[in-house]
Amino acid sequence: MSARSPGSGSQLTPYLQVAPLALLILALVGIPIGTVFMLSFWESDGISVYPAFTWQNYHDVLTASVTLSLFANTLKYAAIVLVATVLIGFTCSYFLVFHVRNLKWQIGLFLLCTIPFWTSNVIRMVSWIPFLGREGLFNQMLMQAGLISQPLDILLYSDFAVVLTYIHLFTLFMIVPIFNSMAKINPNLIEAARDAGANPFQILTGIIIPLSKTGIALGSIFVVTLVMGDFFVVRVMSGGQSASVVSAMKNEIDQLFYPQASAMAVLLVLVVVLMVSAILRVVDIRAELAR
Amino acid sequence: MSQSTPTRRGADFYILAAFFGLFVLFLYGPMLMIFILSFQGPTGGLTFPMRGVSTHWFHDLWSSSRYGDLGGAFRRSLILGVMAMLITATVCLFAALGFRRRFWGAGPIFYLSIISLIVPGILLGLGISQLFQILGLRLSWWLSGLGAHLSWTLPFGLLIMFAVLNRFDGSWEEAARDAGAHPWQVLRLVTVPILFPGLIAVALFGFTLSYDEMPRSLLTVGGKNTLPIEISNMTTNVTTPALYAIGTVTSAVSFLVIALAFAGIAIIQRQRSRAKRGKN
Amino acid sequence: MTEPNGKDCAGLTRRGFLKTSAATAGVTVGSGIIGAPMIWAQNIKDVTLNQVGPSYSVIADIAEKASADLGFKIVPQTADSTALMAKVVNQPETIDIADLEFWAMQKVWRSGKLQPVEVAKIANWSKMTPLMKDGKNFDGSELSRQGTMPFEVMFTGGPGDTSFAAEATDYATTMPTIYNADTVGIRSDLIGRPVESWAELFNPEFKGKTALVNIPQIGIMDAAMALEAMGELTYGDKGNMTREEIDHTITRLIELKKAGQFRAFWSTFDESVNLMAAGEVVIQSMWSPAVTAVKSRGIGCVYQGLKEGYRGWGLGMGLMGHLEGLKLEAAYEYMNWYLSGWQGAFIARQGYYSSVPETAKANLTPNEIGYWYEGKPASEDILDPYGAVMDKAGAVRDGGSFEDRMGNVACWNTVMDEERYMVQRWNEFISA
Repeated sequence: MSARSPGSGSQLTPYLQVAPLALLILALVGIPIGTVFMLSFWESDGISVYPAFTWQNYHDVLTASVTLSLFANTLKYAAIVLVATVLIGFTCSYFLVFHVRNLKWQIGLFLLCTIPFWTSNVIRMVSWIPFLGREGLFNQMLMQAGLISQPLDILLYSDFAVVLTYIHLFTLFMIVPIFNSMAKINPNLIEAARDAGANPFQILTGIIIPLSKTGIALGSIFVVTLVMGDFFVVRVMSGGQSASVVSAMKNEIDQLFYPQASAMAVLLVLVVVLMVSAILRVVDIRAELAR
Repeated sequence: MSQSTPTRRGADFYILAAFFGLFVLFLYGPMLMIFILSFQGPTGGLTFPMRGVSTHWFHDLWSSSRYGDLGGAFRRSLILGVMAMLITATVCLFAALGFRRRFWGAGPIFYLSIISLIVPGILLGLGISQLFQILGLRLSWWLSGLGAHLSWTLPFGLLIMFAVLNRFDGSWEEAARDAGAHPWQVLRLVTVPILFPGLIAVALFGFTLSYDEMPRSLLTVGGKNTLPIEISNMTTNVTTPALYAIGTVTSAVSFLVIALAFAGIAIIQRQRSRAKRGKN
Repeated sequence: MTEPNGKDCAGLTRRGFLKTSAATAGVTVGSGIIGAPMIWAQNIKDVTLNQVGPSYSVIADIAEKASADLGFKIVPQTADSTALMAKVVNQPETIDIADLEFWAMQKVWRSGKLQPVEVAKIANWSKMTPLMKDGKNFDGSELSRQGTMPFEVMFTGGPGDTSFAAEATDYATTMPTIYNADTVGIRSDLIGRPVESWAELFNPEFKGKTALVNIPQIGIMDAAMALEAMGELTYGDKGNMTREEIDHTITRLIELKKAGQFRAFWSTFDESVNLMAAGEVVIQSMWSPAVTAVKSRGIGCVYQGLKEGYRGWGLGMGLMGHLEGLKLEAAYEYMNWYLSGWQGAFIARQGYYSSVPETAKANLTPNEIGYWYEGKPASEDILDPYGAVMDKAGAVRDGGSFEDRMGNVACWNTVMDEERYMVQRWNEFISA
């Protein structure tokens, strides 16, 4: 049942197989990140960067009170979006895997979820505005149904709009891995449990959730990194009223203050790596893979 | 592969189906908005009310030159998407196969991939552009731009391949080897066909991620913009429903591409099964 | 030495230019060009110039017309000002001509990646508006120096000099092309009374219905105009605030934000249009073309001239340092073509002013001249550059004539000395 194939091929095989990825990642990610890290110790006068070794940038970032509020705000978004996407993603995958009988239907409905992603993200985000605005479609529908007399302001240019958009854009990243994990659950297990007298809830908590751990963990890593790294959605959907770590960073980068932005980036990476290792501590994906 | 066994559909099926239906509606809502509003009348704007219905804006998109180099940008984004898709699928397949065994450097590579997802695209793009410049290579969308896109798609592809391989039974490969197959044959005749659906998923992800990518592309495309950059620049100057017409057109084209791809795969599979049946 | 091309005809062709310059012996048209005009004409066809800049300035139509008229290829690429600055500094080889706004030039000139423009080689320089060329107002009086007045970053000592000269010299950092005076846009139909002062932006009457632009340097100046108009604070230089002034401004902004004064902060053009058109706001920072976009939907939006004055800004063409030889010559040709009228007329129809109004006007109809430059009522419908009706006959341009508007600029878009501090505090304001 394991994916491992012991005794196959030489000792060299894994190295050869991973080589292309390793080379590309080292070149395209490792070196640039090294540059960013180095930059965080340099100085800048707003136009050029000067090689130096100064802790000033880190000092500025860590002592500014705005840093804390930025991280808190972004973490808040990440937490809410994570919970929402896990719930929605899990439910939809559960439906697709356990209640849709025909394989073709399964794949068809799954693909149905992916199609909206072929429209440019920018345009999709912009299109929420005519829907949620004061004179937007949603408010009009609510007013016509007599549920409200004044248009709801908080639908747009608010935290609500930001979180809604995140959920809209990122749930798919949760559905794909969970779908995958669920589909590999051996139906015999479920049969056996049912025969042993377990009720659906026990099956859910005892079998399905534990066996979907990998999928949930992967999806969580995706969603967390995407939300923590975003600046665009926050800026547009909050109407500029909220900030995230990266949107504040963008302001600095726009003005060519690279070292200061780099210091904040290093801090961000540390925080998110901590979050990801926390997730990995709960579910060791690589161990699962090599099992 | 379906897990359901009871023959009668319980109430929970309908509840879940309704939930799923709502979710799909939620996903498609904006697309529908874009679709409807792209048929906005000539004096209409980006928001409701609709002032008449017309194909005016599609026309405008074609004939007017005020929309920059959309056609070119669209072409470049498509080509980049395909290149990123192919490279990501291949590289991540092999890499994930390699990760099945413990080897020196596995941890760092894995974490480096994750870090690539976290580092803000705008800074990573700066780093990548400087790398290419130091190497003396001219920045261009198909080289440094591709590199930037790969830094985004490879980690995703790797993680998804992990998920896909998680349910791959290695004993098929063993059986093939015992039957005397050469490692390449094992790969071509056993591994890839079994993993095919997963590979398709990785490929699709790779395409979508590259197609939508903007922050990393900003500083690495060189002299020609990709579609997201061009659209974003346009929003500082264009405020007509032509923006939505663009959305409708690009969705339609992408949809067509996928449909063609799947039709192609379906035809190939039908031919294969016909051949198999023929052999028997 | 000035070129003998005194004619400012639209459609200045390569051949026409060649004839006049070849006819005048001894005219230096640039470094390294020797030989018969025919060889030059042959070679220059292979030149390609990359012009990069914001999408309201680098326009495909203009590049196309220029390429057709001049015989060589202009390739436009859009990039917003911040991306452009990053490219100029980090990837200079990807650009030949950079359309930089004056505040961006203030920032990047020091990098040394650009070369000065030789004023002598620009035929129409003498016809340029005094606002740019001399740094003086139409009546000769001094212009506001608050912020980065274009003249302050316009001239430099010579090749290799990375500082700015205090007086006009023979070497310009940039050739100005487009500029305008910005103010607030209002929904006159929803407000229903006259609005005369920047202070109205923070009037509690409009709580929840105002917006500011979310570009720190510009937004803070709009806020400063409003606060000064309210009598709360008099700034030494709104374009170059001290830390105390920044602190005071930001504190007040945070107060107003918490009190719910602002509906949103917009970062892109279309956001501002939507806010106004959908009635989400009734008064906000706005850019001229956004106002016309709203108006063209039949909505009563007015670009309101205010008694405290306008916020001015402008943009010009900068030559990248690596240009030389034939390419450099082609670049000068293109720049001269730019000031010869066709481009000026094109952008005039979007509400921008050309740095050489005379040639632009020669390419506009009397009706258009009356509306866009002279503040007169339009005798017939006013069309935008793409043919759509923008304003009806009888309408008057908001704010009036060229002189009324540009002559009343209170401060210019800029980059302040305390910029880092300002951006930091602006981030605080946004996340408050």
